[in-house]
Amino acid sequence: MAIEVERQVLPLFETDDRSRWYNPDLPETDPFVPGHRTCAGCGPAIEYRLHLKAAEDNSIAIGPTGCMYVANSSYMCTPYSIPWAHTPIASGGSFASGVAAGYEAMIRKGKHPGPYPNIICMSGDGSASDIGLGSVSGMLYRNHDALLVCYDNEQYANTGIQTSPTSPYGAMTTFTPPGPKIPEGKKLWPKEVAKMMSEGHPWCYVATTTVGYPIDLMNKTRKGLNFRGAAFMQVYAPCQKGFVYQTPLTIELGKMVVECGLFPVWEYDPETRKYDHFVPEQRHPVHEYLKLQGRFGHLSAEHIAKIQASANRKWEQMDADVPAEFRDAEDPDYYTRLGIGKAGATASDKAKAW
Amino acid sequence: MAVKPAVEPASGKTVRVSGCTAAAFAARYADVDVVTAYPIRPYTAIMMTLAQMIANGELDAEYIHSDGEHAQLSAALGAGSSGARVFTGSSGVGVTFAYELYSFISGARVPIHMAIADRTLDPPGDFGSEHTDALCTRDMGWLMGWAATPQEVFDKTLMAYRMGEDHRVLLPQMVCQDGYFVSHISGEVVLPDPELVREFLPPYKLPFALDPRKSVSHGAQIMPEQGPPLQLSRARAMEEAVPVMREVTDRFAEVFGRQYPHFVEEYRLDDAEIAFFIQGAHAVTARGVVDALRDQGVKIGMARLLWVRPFPTEDVQKALGHLKAVGVVETNLGLGGATSGGVLALDLATALYSLRERPLLTSFMAGMGGEAVPSHEFQWMAKKLQQAVADGRVEKMTHWVGFEE
Repeated sequence: MAIEVERQVLPLFETDDRSRWYNPDLPETDPFVPGHRTCAGCGPAIEYRLHLKAAEDNSIAIGPTGCMYVANSSYMCTPYSIPWAHTPIASGGSFASGVAAGYEAMIRKGKHPGPYPNIICMSGDGSASDIGLGSVSGMLYRNHDALLVCYDNEQYANTGIQTSPTSPYGAMTTFTPPGPKIPEGKKLWPKEVAKMMSEGHPWCYVATTTVGYPIDLMNKTRKGLNFRGAAFMQVYAPCQKGFVYQTPLTIELGKMVVECGLFPVWEYDPETRKYDHFVPEQRHPVHEYLKLQGRFGHLSAEHIAKIQASANRKWEQMDADVPAEFRDAEDPDYYTRLGIGKAGATASDKAKAW
Repeated sequence: MAVKPAVEPASGKTVRVSGCTAAAFAARYADVDVVTAYPIRPYTAIMMTLAQMIANGELDAEYIHSDGEHAQLSAALGAGSSGARVFTGSSGVGVTFAYELYSFISGARVPIHMAIADRTLDPPGDFGSEHTDALCTRDMGWLMGWAATPQEVFDKTLMAYRMGEDHRVLLPQMVCQDGYFVSHISGEVVLPDPELVREFLPPYKLPFALDPRKSVSHGAQIMPEQGPPLQLSRARAMEEAVPVMREVTDRFAEVFGRQYPHFVEEYRLDDAEIAFFIQGAHAVTARGVVDALRDQGVKIGMARLLWVRPFPTEDVQKALGHLKAVGVVETNLGLGGATSGGVLALDLATALYSLRERPLLTSFMAGMGGEAVPSHEFQWMAKKLQQAVADGRVEKMTHWVGFEE
């Protein structure tokens, strides 16, 4: 007696080498319309628009507490032209499961005409990697047909820039301020959330990308939505307020973080159980990325060398060769020779130059 | 047009089942779309029964294995927000683990249903029943009441869905049963004709579901000055639920032939001087004690509360206003409260306060930790009430039964 649940299939955008971040043939629909009050240059807001443009109109968006709740959705003035719901910060995955289960049952039982809607949950990194980690894992484990996006601005930004599990080593946040006793600020290394999801739920589609590659972001969104089951994306999206950079650099940072090896962009295929890594043509040592941001302005040569070492390990994990210069940059002396990273003065001066 | 289930439930049959099974049967008759589960004793048996029904093809519903009660209620809210009819439940610390969601769900005005089989809160671990678990969520905007028998669990679940889903109300509901005393002891349950249930409880439509055909935003951020009207509308919904609950109770009687009191069971209260005020399964023992004491000439009665939220102030005034002394049987812990006892006495005292003539009021901490409340304890309580009448004042606001002379 049950009615078959009809699913949507969204075509992928054509890409060539250049169009990882450029393509004129975008859909006209814009379910994320004006009406929000995010900061100028807000990475997650740019990202949100791209996700929903890719998902189009038969979609439901879910927003656990975070920037993309508080700064986006003012009462009577939300920016969504599709249905959207706020959830508790720890509830993104479980609420999305509920919506998915509700639609499965209602369509099957003839209470909703279908087709099955695209269900997108936009969890911040605090929600997805900290307080709501179990809820995300639960949704992936149960394989509900929905896409959970971790918009990763590497901090609890909405509450005033506190460290989250994805804040990088050495980042200055209001919970990890640098001082004479703790010169590097944040001492811990970031959780690799997407890896936790792909390794722990190997039947799910998992991908990472950044706002530096809009078409890649939109295609991965569509692949995640087309996937029959749970999908997870972690998207690097800079926060001007917390990273402390010049506003026009949001997209630039989205590329630099990848070109410096600090945020690997990859896609995990649950069928072959293999990772496809994107190795950019242009690559840079990490200090080129760090110098653009005030949150790293206090770092000394020793700390920058540690961050370069961590980037080099990531290049190795991606099977990319590690240029000799990057290896040299694992040594604090490298920075002394260049005259940078002396109690932060030079690095922040360079940031100002941008 | 909704699709009928492939296997229709039994019709007009009387079965002997536990309170847990009765709750699961009711969910099946209500043809719920989504069940969200997480194991904790003693309510688990409800979810086990539903899982088997789904496996057997007797109930067409999605069953979510949640990763904790917070997730369980979050998933229930997600499913409810999308327009599905949802069934969930919990016990003891499971109820409190999900605490964030109670205000969230009633504020979202999503009428999901939660079955509670009571359990004492930790520490230490105790399987026994105490009403503290559900009662500590009593001010979060849920319709809430206790059932004293498996039949009442079944009936109340169907009624609660209809009350909560009424567009004048749109509030979630909690139907509670004492752990073990009701949840795990068999009683007779009449299973109705599924066609009658569909007539009494038709498929409902959430007027503001998350549906791409008609876009809505749920729970957008507000400024403080936008708060009062929203809170007022939730408070009004609670008040407006009272007449709807009366209507539904009477409608239930018309369809199924079982008339429940709207809010308060008045047992031998007409000419009574003293009475117990109680909710839940211990009322069954209390009735027996009332009968026995009546045989000895004691003018005693009992008022059993069927719904504690919304609190039926009018009904309580009418039932108890003429008495000389009332003893609240608490079975819940309200540490540091005005009576230094439980929380029911606080509501009752407030409800009676505006009466020109009102009874003396005391309370009894009984059945704590899930202990049975035997007849001799009720008899002891009755003595305390008789003494209060004789003295013209109560000895104290709270008696710990079993710890005093």
